[in-house]
Amino acid sequence: MTTIVEARGLTKRYRGITAVDGVDFQIARNSITGLLGRNGAGKTTLMHLLTGQEFATEGSITVAGESPVENPAVLQHTCFIKESQRYPDDFKPKHVFAAAPGFFPHWDADFARELAAEFRLPVDRRIKKLSRGQLSSVGIIVGLAARAPITIFDEPYLGLDAIARQAFYDRLLADYAAHPRTVILSTHLIDEVADLLEHALVIDNGRILIDSPVDALRSHAATIAGPAEAVEQAVAGLEVIHRERLGGFVSATVAGDTEAAAGRARAAGLEVGPVSLQQLIIRQTGGTPTEHEEVSR
Amino acid sequence: MTTTTTPAPLSLAPRPLSTRVAIVVRLLFANPWTAIYTPLLILGVVFLMNMAIWGIVRASIPPEGEMDASINGGVLFLFIYMLVVAVQSVNQAFPLALGYGSTRRDFVLGFGVFALILSLGYSVLLVAASLLERATGGWGIGHSFFTTDELWRAEWWEGFTLSLIAFLLFFSIGAATASVYVRWKALGMYAFWGGLVFLGIGGAALVTLLGAWGQVGEFFVWAGVLGSAAWSLIITALCWLAAWAILRRATPSQG
Repeated sequence: MTTIVEARGLTKRYRGITAVDGVDFQIARNSITGLLGRNGAGKTTLMHLLTGQEFATEGSITVAGESPVENPAVLQHTCFIKESQRYPDDFKPKHVFAAAPGFFPHWDADFARELAAEFRLPVDRRIKKLSRGQLSSVGIIVGLAARAPITIFDEPYLGLDAIARQAFYDRLLADYAAHPRTVILSTHLIDEVADLLEHALVIDNGRILIDSPVDALRSHAATIAGPAEAVEQAVAGLEVIHRERLGGFVSATVAGDTEAAAGRARAAGLEVGPVSLQQLIIRQTGGTPTEHEEVSR
Repeated sequence: MTTTTTPAPLSLAPRPLSTRVAIVVRLLFANPWTAIYTPLLILGVVFLMNMAIWGIVRASIPPEGEMDASINGGVLFLFIYMLVVAVQSVNQAFPLALGYGSTRRDFVLGFGVFALILSLGYSVLLVAASLLERATGGWGIGHSFFTTDELWRAEWWEGFTLSLIAFLLFFSIGAATASVYVRWKALGMYAFWGGLVFLGIGGAALVTLLGAWGQVGEFFVWAGVLGSAAWSLIITALCWLAAWAILRRATPSQG
């Protein structure tokens, strides 16, 4: 693994608010990393720091070993697509696509045209008149066609319907396979992107809560369901991060080394299932284990 | 998915400054309607309407009657228009350019080249039109739209220099104002305009108090049209410096 992004004690404070609070992490070159977290968790600030658009209060962040701030050597490799991107008022998508190749040496104009057709983007309509979803697809098209070695998407799908979002994920994965690059994708639609991600960085309140390969995350959690007594026996000694009770039936989410417990549970005729990444992250960021009682009528 | 071969390290040699600046210039010109087509169209319409009115007035007086020579402010809108172009370009293109990997420095330089190209272009246009106007005896009907002969009889290069200096001044004021907004938003605008009003009134009060209005007038007479314009280059330079100093620490809006 080659490290492309490295943060050390990175902190960003605005007046009275600590948006990013002394985080340390590394991002591997040519991987897809999910930056996951709730709204206001610090995702956007982190991405602004990564692209030199914000100035760190303390600590450092480097891209390819150098600070990105006012550094054309680094910034020529980055493409930052954000949900709130503003465009000049009188721009049409075609103007964006005409100016973009200068910024991105690997720009693929045919690919951009193809994507515009797929996303049904009216390239000759003023951006101000585009729908929210169409506006998002402008960003997605630039982000994909730029083929920038470091491509950053900050919640790029706002207003896109499920079909268009799926098209984005499919295109991203296919193009990533053909042209490997470092992709950082911030989102709170965790389950939708779960299959795309190789690595997850979960941020909450400006701190990194989880920094782990997605596979490892998944294999370290399981849901065991069945009659209450049998389930409690199977999960004894394990960390139960969530428990749902419906009458005499219990579904418990356990974390840690779950292999043995899963085997025991299967042998006892209990139901063992995977935990979705989203569930896992919600449980983990929820802090304390929750006891959830369904009232049976 | 992991790649099996180690990819070649990213090249950390920056592209030449000229390339990076040209990219920004290209972004600012991406929609040519903004800074070229629309103002030219307006200029054309204003000119034609002006001609028509002049023609009507001309026709309604007896042939032996003399018409007072005219001074026309029709082209002045172009300067104000460029100030607006400057404000919008800085305000709206700055966050986009940064998102696409420009540095603040490249953006400011690119905007400077953009402003210089437009200032030169429009100055050439205005001088050429005024020469044509003179050569055709005011488009055949004694109309002066582009010439300022009544106010200031100038050689073509004098007119060109004045126009160029004025365009650069308007661009720089626009850039400085917009950079205040980009960095400090509405709060910055209140402080900026408040401060400007304060300075203006304060300055006027000071001159009045010292009874120095005569000297102020003498200065402009002494400096002459071109000389006064040349002095404005100081303001232009200060505005550029301010725009650069302000944008250097500016961050694109997050909302």
